[in-house]
Amino acid sequence: MASKATPDNGSWMGSRLPRREDLRLVTGQGKYISDIVLPRMAHAVFVRSDYAHAKIVSIDTSAALALPGVISVTTGADIVDEMRSMPQPVLLPNLPAKYPTFYPLSVDKVKFHGAPVALVIARDKYTAEDAVELVEVEYEELPAVVDPNAALEPGAPLVNEDHPDNEIFSMTFTGGETQAEQDENDKAVEEIFNSADAVIKETFRVHRTGLTPMEPRGVLCDWSESDGLTAWITTQRPHIDRLALVDLLDIPAERVRVIAPRDQGGAFGIKAPFYRENVIIAHMARKLGQPVRWIESRYESLMNVGQERDQINTLEVAATKDGKLLALRNRGVADNGTGETGVYWGFLMPFLGAHEIPNTYTWDKADIKLRVAVTNKACLTPSRAFGHFPTRFAIERGIDIIAHKIGMEPADVRRKNLIPELPYTSVTGGYYDSGDFLKVWDNLMSHVDLANFREEQAKARESGRYIGIGFGTGVELSGMASEVLVPMENQPGYGAASIRLDPRGTVQIFGGDAPGGQGHETSVAQVVASAFGIKPEDTLTTTGDTATTPFGAGTIGARGASYFMSAVHNACVELKNKIVRILAHDLGISAQPDDFEFSNGEVVLRSDSSVKKTFREIVERIIMHPINMPDGEVGGLEATVFFEAAKPMICFNADLCIVDVNIDNGEFKITRWVSSEDVGNVINPLIVDGQMQGAIAQGLSNTMFEEFIYDDQGQQLTADFENYKIATAADLPNIDVTYAPTPCPHTPMGTRGIGEGRPSSVPGALCNAICDALKPFGIEITELPVRPNAIWKKIQEARS
Amino acid sequence: MKNIRVNINGVAYQETVPVRMLLVDFIRETAALTGTHVSCTYEGVCGACTIHLDGEAVKSCLMLAVQADGHEITTVEGLANGKELSALQQAFNDQHGLQCGFCTAGILMNMTEFLDKNPDPTDDEIRHGLVGNLCRCTGYVHIVNAVRAAAKSRLSEA
Repeated sequence: MASKATPDNGSWMGSRLPRREDLRLVTGQGKYISDIVLPRMAHAVFVRSDYAHAKIVSIDTSAALALPGVISVTTGADIVDEMRSMPQPVLLPNLPAKYPTFYPLSVDKVKFHGAPVALVIARDKYTAEDAVELVEVEYEELPAVVDPNAALEPGAPLVNEDHPDNEIFSMTFTGGETQAEQDENDKAVEEIFNSADAVIKETFRVHRTGLTPMEPRGVLCDWSESDGLTAWITTQRPHIDRLALVDLLDIPAERVRVIAPRDQGGAFGIKAPFYRENVIIAHMARKLGQPVRWIESRYESLMNVGQERDQINTLEVAATKDGKLLALRNRGVADNGTGETGVYWGFLMPFLGAHEIPNTYTWDKADIKLRVAVTNKACLTPSRAFGHFPTRFAIERGIDIIAHKIGMEPADVRRKNLIPELPYTSVTGGYYDSGDFLKVWDNLMSHVDLANFREEQAKARESGRYIGIGFGTGVELSGMASEVLVPMENQPGYGAASIRLDPRGTVQIFGGDAPGGQGHETSVAQVVASAFGIKPEDTLTTTGDTATTPFGAGTIGARGASYFMSAVHNACVELKNKIVRILAHDLGISAQPDDFEFSNGEVVLRSDSSVKKTFREIVERIIMHPINMPDGEVGGLEATVFFEAAKPMICFNADLCIVDVNIDNGEFKITRWVSSEDVGNVINPLIVDGQMQGAIAQGLSNTMFEEFIYDDQGQQLTADFENYKIATAADLPNIDVTYAPTPCPHTPMGTRGIGEGRPSSVPGALCNAICDALKPFGIEITELPVRPNAIWKKIQEARS
Repeated sequence: MKNIRVNINGVAYQETVPVRMLLVDFIRETAALTGTHVSCTYEGVCGACTIHLDGEAVKSCLMLAVQADGHEITTVEGLANGKELSALQQAFNDQHGLQCGFCTAGILMNMTEFLDKNPDPTDDEIRHGLVGNLCRCTGYVHIVNAVRAAAKSRLSEA
């Protein structure tokens, strides 16, 4: 993209404007949750379970309570009569599932290693940590359920005893609503498989991994008898958290204010659920009558959150001998963990993953079924590429495996089967609104000479060097329409923004979503400055405070440029129309909104540029001097606008990866990575580049390094960054992000929400490249993470 | 408890602190300079707490406050010259070298020292210079771009 530091034709849209957030962040002036300090603030530290599954026999808190500086020690038994249990309706999806009942602290038994057992509150954190060591918990160990397939066996020990078995959720995604329709569909799929030229069947395992924001979670609560609760929470959805606190703690709704700090150190989905820690900290602030703060340690974070993926998908693909994909069948099993997390409950991610298996390809028929098992592990929490990282790995590998089987170039199989025209409804009912998949694909392929690469590859093999090329594609959500989000999460999908013009000609913007580093303040400034013809620095955006912002479901699912920015834009249009009506009245002319141009701080009549007012003059007139107004018009310039798209929207991307594999030790090096993106019309290319770079790197780190490991007793062995390895700068390649955009027809600016699902095409592309390099050995990778030792082992097996 | 004197960003602090207090807590809580962050469990892996101790980049979670007695500390709040950003700070803004900003202070402190010692680094050297700092948002490419741009800008000013 061309670099533009100044506006083009008065518009800041598409400008590579350096971010407004940065000045405070590069000078250490950011205000994250752990930087907020209140008078008399006490510090909370949790006592967490040493066992994966055990009865709590007794808890002796006396020694901890006797330590000077300790204010309280609370156990599960202490709170069951003081608050409602989860779930509450606001935290429940509209999907039938065996939702566990639970409290913020474990009651009677612990269900995973790291589960909260007691809460110590002390005057300072050092004392609180000392006191945690003095809490004596006696456990009686129960058999731990650590394997999802074993969990689903009849007679398996129960994780959640309020339900008859460990299957929290199951679903058939294809064929229709009724059993008869589904059976008929399954039969039709079977017939295709029976008569197809080529079929493949593989089981793909994706390990437990996810994302770990550099800032762990935190909660700070303050209680006032007159005003109620103020809760600062690291969260992507402050308005939902507020309703949950209202319902769980029985506080009148108007007396709960949730503030997501303006600076949050990354989120990626981890800060989207409603967590049990929020409830107990709020409760204790109320009970003690003093502010209480909990800042999660990295150890706690890695024990409790950021764990996703963790699916086993047995995939079958049927195709013709010339590479036309016919049908797919998938049986997924997901390891849910306990299910004790509000909003998502663990299974919502594999649910969406199964729904997204067909991906960017056309299929005549599909048969897709999913079973999700609760286990004695931390509950899955959403992580960017929500649920479909494992299913995309399966389908993108599946495409290459069938291509190998029929002897076709994998790139050709992809192009032949990409959805050629949109809108399109997938075999699972997913609605893809717009875009041009072939254009994005062809742009990707224009960055490599494939025929030449194949020659080079053949020559390299002769000299004992193994290079390979791999591809992956992904169709991702661009925000979530209410049509999708109401059934899925029981929440509205609309975007919301309030705009307040100041008599001084500047603009305040209020958004209910809560970003975690995506640069909303800059993008909003560009949208507003373009709309009013003012400078980005003449705007200020507030997000995340439920007392001042309109209701929003949160910064989730790539809702920024799709929903929130569209609401911002439409609110600006509403106010511009009012300005034009009053200005035309003052001038004694009749005019339509488009007859005036807002640019360079002026409102100018297009047909006669001598007829104009400064933006500040006309704004000040309407707010401060609302006399001599047109009939029916009153003063003031503020608007709250809700944006709902007519249809669910998507964005599309494709990846190309070239690797060099050392067959002597299995080590591989990514020598090239190119992406091609349909991001619609772009507000700030710098920010979009950053989102793509980051998402692809996250996908690579998940694929190659990160892994949460539990032993067969359910002990979590990876609760620090020494053992849970995240990619460093030296581990990753340079990434070329390229674009082939198509404006979205369903947003007012043609923008698409981007970045959320972006890591999902990465594991397929990388593993396809490695398998392509090792094609002479016939190696097919079906398991992640992909590490040199596993590749070396496969080479040894193939050689013997 | 022990009485210590520490100079942070040119300001002298004389305080009585518990011997076990970590230097990062002294900086964040006693001196209330919250630009220095904590992301790992005080294990020196994430690099978010990196500061300069007598001009050398160190991880302040791996030291006790009492060990800093008599030393000079610079934190991210002390990097800019008044309102003028350092070349590296400016480059992070220009190149979009940060998203959430949580790791940024540590990276700025580490790479400021890195550029002092290696004013004209290759990309590979920059990437290896960054291994003591974890970033989850950016994928590092824009960080590498920023460090390279800062090196260029520092060289042209020198």
